[in-house]
Amino acid sequence: MGIKKYYSLALCSMQNTLAYRLSFILNFAANFIGLIAMYCLWQAVYDGRAQLSGFTWPQMQSYLLITFLVNSMLSYYSESGITNKIIDGSVMMDLLKPLHFQKARLAETLGSCVLEGILSCVLIGVLAVFTVGASLLQDGLTSFLFLISLLSSILVKFGIVYITALLCFWTMSGIGLIWARMAVTNLLSGALVPLAFFPPWLKSIAMLLPFQGIVNTPVTIGLGMTEMIQALQLIAIQWIWIIILWLLGKWMWSWAVRQITIHGG
Amino acid sequence: MKISPRRILYLYWRLFSQQLKAMMEYSADFYIMIGAAVMTQVTGFLFLWVIFSRIPDIQGWQFWEVAFMYAAIYVSEGVGSLFFEGTWRMLRLVNLGELDRYLVRPVPVVLQIFCTGIGMNGLGNIIIGGTIIIMSLSHIHIVWSLQTVGMAIILFVSAMIIRVAINLAANCSAFWIRNSGNAFPIMIHNLGEFAKYPITIFSLGLQLFISIVVPFAFVSFVPAAAMFGKESWSYLGWFSPLVAVYCCGVALLLLRIGLRRYESAGN
Repeated sequence: MGIKKYYSLALCSMQNTLAYRLSFILNFAANFIGLIAMYCLWQAVYDGRAQLSGFTWPQMQSYLLITFLVNSMLSYYSESGITNKIIDGSVMMDLLKPLHFQKARLAETLGSCVLEGILSCVLIGVLAVFTVGASLLQDGLTSFLFLISLLSSILVKFGIVYITALLCFWTMSGIGLIWARMAVTNLLSGALVPLAFFPPWLKSIAMLLPFQGIVNTPVTIGLGMTEMIQALQLIAIQWIWIIILWLLGKWMWSWAVRQITIHGG
Repeated sequence: MKISPRRILYLYWRLFSQQLKAMMEYSADFYIMIGAAVMTQVTGFLFLWVIFSRIPDIQGWQFWEVAFMYAAIYVSEGVGSLFFEGTWRMLRLVNLGELDRYLVRPVPVVLQIFCTGIGMNGLGNIIIGGTIIIMSLSHIHIVWSLQTVGMAIILFVSAMIIRVAINLAANCSAFWIRNSGNAFPIMIHNLGEFAKYPITIFSLGLQLFISIVVPFAFVSFVPAAAMFGKESWSYLGWFSPLVAVYCCGVALLLLRIGLRRYESAGN
């Protein structure tokens, strides 16, 4: 029972994104600037070098494109939505509704993810045609596994975003928490630089944390750098984290609502 | 109406300290903002370090030279947030009609806009960015003389003015684009990404764009080139003050045009 109401929530958030389309497109363009800067930087880095840390330039190009795709899904836009609810107290209204708070937020997030995903896929498709020799998704099986890991990565990211947002109940600071989370996620997920470039100690730390499931897993699978078995293992690890983060979020929520402060009436 | 520079400084100080008091009421927010800025910078620094541990230089630029540019962008961002955060609140001022109050006071509107808030993340940016700049300068061989010190000061002041003017100009979009969040100014802000690296890695069009249209290059790249004596670029350092004047002019002009368009929110 009840899947339908979450479905309508997802639809609502999709329409909401469409209603503020100028904002949505400008945000997207802002991220795109980052992609161009990184692309040019890596181009200069690879100048005169065949490969670095097991990555050839065409692989690196695909790496940047996939990272952009993963990062533009579940953007800042949906993230700040959750923290704002808590900061301005409108979370109170959610407490009155016969909805599971965590599931409702997931539904909303996934709703706007659909549009973000479509737009970035189109853009990346165009870019991939222009960047010569991008070694993206060579066969059917890889593509299939990539798609699964990509969808799972959204859930991992949601788990982390949700828990960070709940911290607002204690800190009363939204944007600072989001920035801190972004910094940590960007480094440890492999969004800034592939984990293969890290010194061994940093890489082993990163592999033990949930963040690598956001970028590192879909990218290594998409680039065909893993065997079938390895790929399945990586996806299994993603799901272990999805479950752990979900339960953690659930537990934090039940703890947080007990000490809620709402300003004004 | 003419107000003496001394009076402006005094007013700025009074407005700023009031905001500071308000800010200190939320002490958790205060530390989290600083912490977030520090974390962002440290990860950025690690990123550069990881790249340079694999390669010796990028088009002739060494690790510490690029780190200097990287930190220069962050310090300018920090100065912009800590002392001129109000530029980022313009959307709110315009949409909620709060600008009305500013327009009836006998204090320059720009000054009041600047003092609408304080971004404590700026402090974190300035501290870490400043540390990285000092570390870079100690690792790079520079012959310090009266001339280089004078040059450094001019470059630094110009860079900060340029940054704040770009923020102000970008946020003037609030007068035209309603209801879009801070998306447009954030996009302009992100153009700063291009100036974190030697601009020679970009295509000519992009180089011209970030040197002339939105001159972030003068915040980081040009000071770095001038200080480290990169032959083909260092002469641009002499244009820094001119670019600062140009940026201020454009920003103030945009604000003026914007204010003319401003119609208060009914209430």
